[in-house]
Amino acid sequence: MINKSAFIFPAFITEFTRNEIEFLDKNSVDFNDYLHRASVALNIDLPEFSYNTDVYRNDELNSQLLAYLLSCAFSDILQKKGIVPELIAGYSMGIYASLYAAKSITIEDGAKLIFNAYNLVKNLTKTRIYGMGAIIGLSTEDVGNLIQDSAPDIEIININNEHSLVIAGKKDDVLLVLKKAKEEGAFSAAELTVDTPYHSKYLLKYSEPFQKFINTISIKSAEIPIISTYDQREFTKLSEIKSELISNLTGKINWYKTMQKLIENNVSEIYECGAGKDLKKISRFIAGNYKMKSIYKI
Amino acid sequence: MAQITDKTKNEVKEVVLDFFAEECEIEIDEISEDSNIISDLDGDSLMFLELIEIFKKKYNLNIELKTIGKYAVKNPVQTIGELIDMQLLIIEHENDILEIE
Repeated sequence: MINKSAFIFPAFITEFTRNEIEFLDKNSVDFNDYLHRASVALNIDLPEFSYNTDVYRNDELNSQLLAYLLSCAFSDILQKKGIVPELIAGYSMGIYASLYAAKSITIEDGAKLIFNAYNLVKNLTKTRIYGMGAIIGLSTEDVGNLIQDSAPDIEIININNEHSLVIAGKKDDVLLVLKKAKEEGAFSAAELTVDTPYHSKYLLKYSEPFQKFINTISIKSAEIPIISTYDQREFTKLSEIKSELISNLTGKINWYKTMQKLIENNVSEIYECGAGKDLKKISRFIAGNYKMKSIYKI
Repeated sequence: MAQITDKTKNEVKEVVLDFFAEECEIEIDEISEDSNIISDLDGDSLMFLELIEIFKKKYNLNIELKTIGKYAVKNPVQTIGELIDMQLLIIEHENDILEIE
């Protein structure tokens, strides 16, 4: 049995480890180059990054772009050091950095995909307020029952691990389910700081326009296989990548099963390629013979 | 209802400190009973849950997570010392913890 390594990519940054800038400096990476490339590609101005820059903390698009660009930079550092994964997976919007790491898209095209997806789904929030929430400590069945009884339009859009899942839908419904979850004995039931119900049925209508945009981007086959968070298949081909991009935005995902798939494939070392350590935290209740490797100790 | 002995208290404290030291990648002597779980140690609900699972196995406890969750929401802990006390209460009372006044 050959042990393999994998890179996994977060979607957003809940909290910085505060080792990120030091890590970039130590590896002589000028992160401003990454910001500049994305700025030029999108014709916007992404300012220099610091931990307290409001532009990245308070803006959903900018925070997605920052998470993506840091993930790309970290993947570059690891690969330059000779750490090349056998498999890759991206949590939700982490798909874009996954494709970059697999040499399927450029930094610029990844930024364009994020920018376009964001602007498309923003149309939804012009007419109604939506939201997402994370529940920790109740089973999927318990949360399913709560939803059925209190707000049937809410969807469980991702299962993080044995004890943690994510819901999405109309904001009032999300808040109601979170309240009920706390009453039911959830250890934590918190609203996420996004106003788009990612991975929910409300985004399905954007499949076609996003497909059209994807067709304008130069995408190559992946040099490293990627595990789908949508249906956990392994893919490298162009047609599969295009399909995954749509499913990843508009369909339910399952991170728990995705991690299990990596482990089933004899992945024993997993590198979280991104700022913060959200994916390491989530991995707590995902059993298997693997180690979450800290990139900062490399 | 289990009897909490000094041995149990020491064991629970040791497990909690070892757990946080490993999770937070710091030395045990950097953690005290006054350490704030969130602001000092970057702790979260999943860590709390994992500790409960550890003690559930170690002491063969008859507990349902939902019951502990209801107690924890009403009696939130902030420091390592408070967390140790709560774990001891869980070991002592198991699923009857909600009946504590």
